[in-house]
Amino acid sequence: MGTLFHFLPINLLAITAFLPNALIIKLHYQAIVILFIICLMIALLTYMLFYMYFKSKHEKKHVKWRIISDLLIRKAVFYDDDDEEAETLIPVTKRAEKLMRNKHFRALLTAEILSAKKNITGTSAENLIHLYQQLNLEKYALKNLKSRYWYIKAKAIQELTVMEMKEFQTLLYPFTNNHNELVRMEAQTAIVQFQGFEGLRFLDIIIYPISDWQQIKLLQQLSNVPPVYIDIDGWLKSANSSVVVFALKLARNYHRFELHDLILSCLDHPNPEVRLQAIHCLCEMYTDETSDQLISRFLKESFRHQLAMIKAMQNIGSEKDILFLLSLLDDDNHEMKLSAARALASIGKSGLTSLQDHVKSAGYPLNEILMQIKGELAA
Amino acid sequence: MSWQTFILHVFTYGILLYSLLLLICYILIGSFSISETRTYLNKNSFTDYRVLASSTEAPSISVLAPAYNEGATIIENVRSLLSLHYNNLEVIIINDGSKDDTLEKLINAYDLFKVDFFVNEQLPTKPVKGVYKSHNPVYRKLIVVDKENGGKADALNVGVNVAQNNYYVCIDVDCVLEQDALLKLAKPFLENTTQRVIAAGGVVRIANSCQIEGGRLVKVNLAKQFLPRVQTLEYIRAFLLSRMAWTRLNGLLLISGAFGAFDRDIVIKCGGYNPNTVGEDMELVVRMRRYMEERNEPYRVSFIPDPLCWTEAPSTFKILGRQRNRWTRGTIETLRIHKKMFFNPRYGLLGMLSYPYWLFFEFLAPIIEFVGTIGLIIYCLTGPVNWSLFMIMLGVLSIGILYSIFAIMMEVLTYNQYRNKKDILRLVLVAVLEPIVFHPFVVWSAIRGNIDLLRKRNSWGEMTRQGFVTEKKAQ
Repeated sequence: MGTLFHFLPINLLAITAFLPNALIIKLHYQAIVILFIICLMIALLTYMLFYMYFKSKHEKKHVKWRIISDLLIRKAVFYDDDDEEAETLIPVTKRAEKLMRNKHFRALLTAEILSAKKNITGTSAENLIHLYQQLNLEKYALKNLKSRYWYIKAKAIQELTVMEMKEFQTLLYPFTNNHNELVRMEAQTAIVQFQGFEGLRFLDIIIYPISDWQQIKLLQQLSNVPPVYIDIDGWLKSANSSVVVFALKLARNYHRFELHDLILSCLDHPNPEVRLQAIHCLCEMYTDETSDQLISRFLKESFRHQLAMIKAMQNIGSEKDILFLLSLLDDDNHEMKLSAARALASIGKSGLTSLQDHVKSAGYPLNEILMQIKGELAA
Repeated sequence: MSWQTFILHVFTYGILLYSLLLLICYILIGSFSISETRTYLNKNSFTDYRVLASSTEAPSISVLAPAYNEGATIIENVRSLLSLHYNNLEVIIINDGSKDDTLEKLINAYDLFKVDFFVNEQLPTKPVKGVYKSHNPVYRKLIVVDKENGGKADALNVGVNVAQNNYYVCIDVDCVLEQDALLKLAKPFLENTTQRVIAAGGVVRIANSCQIEGGRLVKVNLAKQFLPRVQTLEYIRAFLLSRMAWTRLNGLLLISGAFGAFDRDIVIKCGGYNPNTVGEDMELVVRMRRYMEERNEPYRVSFIPDPLCWTEAPSTFKILGRQRNRWTRGTIETLRIHKKMFFNPRYGLLGMLSYPYWLFFEFLAPIIEFVGTIGLIIYCLTGPVNWSLFMIMLGVLSIGILYSIFAIMMEVLTYNQYRNKKDILRLVLVAVLEPIVFHPFVVWSAIRGNIDLLRKRNSWGEMTRQGFVTEKKAQ
């Protein structure tokens, strides 16, 4: 459907037929107003055309600059430092050196180095870092860190992170609790990049929530470094609920079975998202008693959480849970019935038999649910 | 003062106030759009969407694509959907009782077989005849649902019932999506920590004359025909200016049915799509917002300005007229269903700003314009030549053109899809011609929509498309 497509107050035309004489301004004033609007139109059009002209001109210049940058990057990537003792310089042409005074060229070169660095590892990546430092590009990133604009600050942090400027981590650490979401996200990413699991210590101090997007980013980053034992007990008790959720994800991803009881206690957390994450976590880290713990809290929970519990039972349920699961087949909600039936089937032959023997299994909807489950088991 | 003069004065000053308010709205829309777009672009400049593409933690998404008589292009369209960059994805094609060979073609092309599938009717729909999955593990993401014909809203409700994931994206099956469209649309649901994002919309762009190969957009071209070209300008204005501005205020009422993502849980709680309205996309968003407002739950409707979805615009006046007629009826039906919210402070910004804006400036604008134009014609025919009147008309037209040029400038400064200077000049020419050639037709279609609604004619109106294949050959 098209909305907001009525584009101009052409309706004003309507008033002209009825407007009292007092409101109709003199003809020459009207002409001035129209001329002003036309001038504005011409100004916008001229600006647009100039913008496009200069953009295409810049693009042409950028093509040339890109060749120079690429050459420089290629030299750095394939640079073979024979003398391991002495720090040698990557050869930089005079033209490139001269261009380094131009901030637009510097920005382009930095972007190119960053892009290359993201895609390569090993000695070549180290050489790129060497080139970055040799050209003093970090100096400009540090200057940008002081910018009053959040996006310049965040971009500078990202730049220092990609270029592995570990020496500035103490400078970046305070930003992990910055009021601006993007700045603190980049700073948190930086600290984890530099210190791996140890870097997660910012979780002790942050007062702002960590978004799901940031949690995905951090987990992705951590998956690239060898797992190290870290103490996450404290985070599971954090006053910041998003920290607890993240800690639960960490516990699940790194199979921290020793935290089982602490995770169980999260089932009583006041924040529903924490409780939900705890259920997901217990789905993969369970003992013989876990299902009893879930069942004991089942009635107190919302439908969303109840459903998550029953889905978890598909993994952790055992024969002792059959009676409970059978009772859910009488639930009014079909989604609950389907999940309970799946949980019963996943227990094994005894679960499936109980499901088939249920008094309502021949009638709708259990008959259809049963057919689907059999199909799923056969697949 | 006689009572006749008094009534005339109330009328004229009323319209004057209305026009001034509308003008102020346009100025505010322009400025809010600038700030929202700038924030988005700054934020987006260092976002790496690859993180989401490869993560197992990414939210699972179901893509719902209703298909009715799409036999000619369905195989390619589905292939395009299956190739989208997203990990946790299921693609659900809902065959809405097609009379052609849509289902047979899908079965043959994707090696489908009928499975026992319990369709949990959380939303009431027309009966489902069967659910199909593929023998081929390559197409494991694909689910095809065959159902009795019930219209787009009914088909989408079936899709919501069949979907297994927390979020779903509804798309028109003949739209072309960018490969990273889902990654970008999923992000708003993940980044908000204080409000629940209940829906996210994306920009729809005009694909006429663009080069499409294998269900993918290869080259962006400005439409060659006048009608699609003028709609290109309309879409730029609507999506880059208006929707971005309303997003800034968190007052967006519409997510295009062609491309939008929704929180499935809220959709089900709200009762799904309303099959009794032709404006099911807008009605659902309004109902979702109303649901959240009534529960005092913090929420947000997001919008992504990136050009992610490309669609074919009507290229004949006949089809365009049907489309605009339907849009008008959809707007009126939605406003009528939710009239309780009109200037109702209980609904906050929704009731005090968004709803009244739609009522006064979306529903009433064409009516006022139509009545005004008729009055003007009568005045011109019966009265003396009035140069002052002529100048006011010219002034009003130039404000409209200025607004369109501003929209083109926003496009150039942001996404700049039409890189050729000539194309930009062509768009400017279209902006000049639009109020004379195109706009009166749109107003007339809206008036016909009002009349059809009064006569209780409530058909969807067939949308015949030329198809991208034809466009490709035309290159």
